[in-house]
Amino acid sequence: MIERHHASAAAVCAVALAAAAVAAASFSAHRAPDVLVPGAGVTEVRMLSDWFPGLDGTPGDTEVYVLRGAEPGGSMLVLGGTHPNEPAGYVAAALLVEDARVARGALYVVPRANASGFTHNDPQEGAPTGFSFPLPDGSTRTFTYGSRATNPVHQWPDPEVYIHASSGQSLSGNETRNLNRAYPGREDGTLTERVAYGITRLIVGEGIDVTVDLHEASPEYPVVDAMVAHERAMPLASNTVLGLELQGIGMSLEPSPKNLRGLSHRELGDATDTLAVLFESCNPSQGRLRGRTDEALVVEGKDPYYLRAAALGRLYVPFDEGGVPLAERVGRHLASIAELAFSMGMESEDEGLELSGVPGYDEISELGVGAFLSPAPEAGS
Amino acid sequence: MTVVYIAIAAALLALTVWNLWTERDWRKQCTAAMVAVPLLLRVLMIK
Amino acid sequence: MSHESLLFLLMLGAFAAGSFALRLPVSLSMMLASVAAMLASGNGLGVRHLVEGTFGYVDTMLVIATAMVFMRAVQESGALDAITGIVIRRFGRRPAALLPMLMLVAMFPGMITGSSSASVLTAGAVVAPALMLLGLPRETAGAFIAIAGILGMVAPPVNIPAMIIGGGIDMPFVGFGAPLALLTFPLAIAFSWALGAGKARPVDPAAAGTGPGEELYRRYGPRLFLPVLLVVALMVLGKAAPSAFGLGLPVTFLIGAAAACLAGRRFNALAAAKAAIGDALPVLGILAGVGMFIQTMTLTGVRGFVVVGALSVPPALLFAAIALTMPLFGAVSSFGAASVLGVPFLLALLGRDQVIAASALSLVAALGDFMPPTALSAMFAAQVVGVERYSLVLRKLLVPSLVVVLWALAFIGFSTSIRGFL
Repeated sequence: MIERHHASAAAVCAVALAAAAVAAASFSAHRAPDVLVPGAGVTEVRMLSDWFPGLDGTPGDTEVYVLRGAEPGGSMLVLGGTHPNEPAGYVAAALLVEDARVARGALYVVPRANASGFTHNDPQEGAPTGFSFPLPDGSTRTFTYGSRATNPVHQWPDPEVYIHASSGQSLSGNETRNLNRAYPGREDGTLTERVAYGITRLIVGEGIDVTVDLHEASPEYPVVDAMVAHERAMPLASNTVLGLELQGIGMSLEPSPKNLRGLSHRELGDATDTLAVLFESCNPSQGRLRGRTDEALVVEGKDPYYLRAAALGRLYVPFDEGGVPLAERVGRHLASIAELAFSMGMESEDEGLELSGVPGYDEISELGVGAFLSPAPEAGS
Repeated sequence: MTVVYIAIAAALLALTVWNLWTERDWRKQCTAAMVAVPLLLRVLMIK
Repeated sequence: MSHESLLFLLMLGAFAAGSFALRLPVSLSMMLASVAAMLASGNGLGVRHLVEGTFGYVDTMLVIATAMVFMRAVQESGALDAITGIVIRRFGRRPAALLPMLMLVAMFPGMITGSSSASVLTAGAVVAPALMLLGLPRETAGAFIAIAGILGMVAPPVNIPAMIIGGGIDMPFVGFGAPLALLTFPLAIAFSWALGAGKARPVDPAAAGTGPGEELYRRYGPRLFLPVLLVVALMVLGKAAPSAFGLGLPVTFLIGAAAACLAGRRFNALAAAKAAIGDALPVLGILAGVGMFIQTMTLTGVRGFVVVGALSVPPALLFAAIALTMPLFGAVSSFGAASVLGVPFLLALLGRDQVIAASALSLVAALGDFMPPTALSAMFAAQVVGVERYSLVLRKLLVPSLVVVLWALAFIGFSTSIRGFL
């Protein structure tokens, strides 16, 4: 016999199922990958599993765009999307894929280094699922805003404490899913460690001379608008920072801390011959002091609470009413990459990397990101 | 280990729904439902 | 007034209306407050966000639910009564030595798991009956194990709030052992005596009424304790050799619960599991509600309003801001307080010893587990000692909490001299 409380129980279950279905639809839609439009400079599109077959068919496998010049020279690997909640790195890498040309040397670009992290948002961060840029032809291109970490659906559960495999250093358990705490990675480790291992294999296999990991940091974080360099990469990084200064782009230079393990600039520099550097631009949409969190904050970078924090002297970067637009942050990354390539040639004639077509800092700040994106291919074409 | 944890979440989900069904106070039924939703989506590996 | 400050007032108002006018449980009041702010900020019902927010606590929910199942099984098997009987027979005549011992035992699961709830629900439940037999009133016994819970969570080797705060400024969890030990163990011993003062008396085992417990022990022998020892062993092994024994707390607790089904008095395992989850649901619901609340605060900008407000105080009042806002934010969640406020505060404490300052901030953040409406530690403690209203336990925690805050602030203030001492 159906009792009265069973009727209310059934009603409550129905409402809960409806809410679960609405949320599930949104979560599932988030998993569709963005379509990038490789430009004429791209000579080959490969997968990270080509270097480490253990990633084949996993949510950690990701595209590696190769732009090889006609003349031999130096090689550079650019990692975008290590943290998919730091959009400037991802968008800068996407623009390299769509616009860059290489005359000499080779450029390897991984726009979504942690592909799994792009398939979800961090709980309690209130982040948008994506953001868009208008193109000159009136169309728009949408990019995914993801999470700092691998999707728990792909790697679960977290241990209470994350222990970095090669050093034994402990970190909070959720760092287990942070790609930039997993280097140099492990062949038989977690998905995140295997992605890190794949990137290490790529660097060794291709003899990559310089590796750049693109990041963003919150404005209250001490290392922002900065370049962090492994000790072997210091001379190259200093030349790059000087070159950027001459262009009017302020950038601080930080040595890679020896005791902070698992990060790309430390472990890739130690475990391989590559010169490892990491760039940080300033992203208000990931900070703890931000106000309303939405797509506008991601793209325009304006925030009233950061404005107040700046007045209180709590920030490490200048912050005014104009905010820190995404276009400017992308321009900063691209200018740094171009300058780094130029400095490679100064270091050694054989290791030069000649890039062209990379949007300049002023250009992209003025015209916006959309001006340098190709229209999305028609559905079905 | 993932499979073990999914099984644990599924067992907890079942016990939660069982409590919801036998509970007489609608407020407590709602509380059980708030717990059931994330467990369900995790068991189905949607989120 | 800013848009965000009005939304914050709306959230607080909706929560109060839900709790007091509509007499809803905390979980539903939190959801009501979240929905109200979602609607008022133009986000519709924000279903995706509300559900996403709950996922911040899915792992915690599994830990708490399985801990409750384990505790229920151990209780049904008769092990709790037996342990109490034996402890009182051995040490009942010397409370001054027994009290600190019970405090350390009650802290232990928190020390190695970093979870105050795990501490209170497991070791807390083991020591509580002994405390009450020594003469501590129920409320005081509850306060005793609640304090053990948060001190255990902060004490080395595992302290999750400190890891969260350190992670926010890229400081590895290295060199925290000595500062955390100095921060917690003196307090633990002092509180164990202070709470027992004037109440704990030597107990004559013959008259203590522990006969049934000792009878159970005579019948089943040491295997009665196997489930508890197994869980302790798995926790220690999980810490010592994580690659081989890193099962995680939920699996550890369920192994213990399975062992309890075989170790002592027979009981209906399914009914016990259902009842345990029934007991856990109000707290699990609060966690889900808190998840929604934080997600809504972040989405609508209320979080920024709160954090920048806390940082806006003049430098001279920074300590006061830490002492007030971190435990208050802990009302929502102590891990949340560590992440949202602990990191900016640590950045504002330039020139201090960063490890010691972060350790002390983690202690202040942990106090959030006493702060209503969530008050996880106090609520579980009340449940364990059988006090209907957890506010009675909270009352006993007021003075100790004040001492904890002052102690932590002293560590921050004298961080450089303490570093020299270490």
